[in-house]
Amino acid sequence: MAETATSWDPRGAWAGIAQPGSFGAKGEAGVFAIMLEGFGLASVIAEPDTTAALSQTVEALLGLTLPPTPRIARGPAHDIVWAGPDQWLLRTASRNGFTGLLSELSAHAAVSEQSDARAALRLSGPRARDVLAKGVMLDLHPTAFAIGDVALTNVAYVGAHLWRLDDAADGPVFEILLPRSMAGSFWSWFVASAREFGCRVASGRG
Amino acid sequence: MRINCPHCGARDAQEFTYLGAADPQRPDGLAATEAAMTDYVYMRDNPAGPHRELWYHGAGCHSWLIVTRDTRTHAIALVEPAKTRKAGAAA
Ligand SMILES: [Zn+2]
Repeated sequence: MAETATSWDPRGAWAGIAQPGSFGAKGEAGVFAIMLEGFGLASVIAEPDTTAALSQTVEALLGLTLPPTPRIARGPAHDIVWAGPDQWLLRTASRNGFTGLLSELSAHAAVSEQSDARAALRLSGPRARDVLAKGVMLDLHPTAFAIGDVALTNVAYVGAHLWRLDDAADGPVFEILLPRSMAGSFWSWFVASAREFGCRVASGRG
Repeated sequence: MRINCPHCGARDAQEFTYLGAADPQRPDGLAATEAAMTDYVYMRDNPAGPHRELWYHGAGCHSWLIVTRDTRTHAIALVEPAKTRKAGAAA
């Protein structure tokens, strides 16, 4: 009998790839991974001569300054992440009102909704840096990669957008965005790399 | 080899792709003589020493860069955004 789809359900970027739970070494987990869901994301690209106007608009609307270097500017509900010269990613905790915000910014920049285009992970725990060291070619030592620093690079041959947030009690906190279609590849690298430290996986709001 | 991207900082060469000499200017394809086009496409210098060349930071900030590299030692003297030169040339 032919089956007919009767409804379309939203499907998170990690669905069918990773699930909450634990893997690897038993005992206290060395690494915590939170699969971030539900955030709004957009690329914002200015022309060199519209950067000033864009900057003023962002400042007025969000109270944030566009970072001119690889840094993240954080607000209570919005983050602006450097994404190349004259390019940024805007991330919001929720998608409510996101379309309106994007249309205001589009007066001064090429704006493109990317909310479902990336898979996002927050990594923390005392061994988070050791896991990343297996796939990231950058020096992530605290003196070389400070809180708020951002990098566009490759992790295990997957293009990645990576930044460091405020430290938690148990160590550093990193967030990493990947092309959604590469989430499976990244996850297989991550599981192999984090196994020896023990990892706890959870879902969370971005 | 590492390239010090003016936007991203020092990165491994595998994050970049190489295009070739930075300075030859492509002749206008419709107006150029066959000789001028042949010269542009095939008759490239192969210097033993400093060479200005185009590199693309594809795994990073997606910028085109002009890298001045000594072809004998891989020592890099200068890395500049190619965009600046293009804007300058147009003016
Ligand atoms: Zn770069």
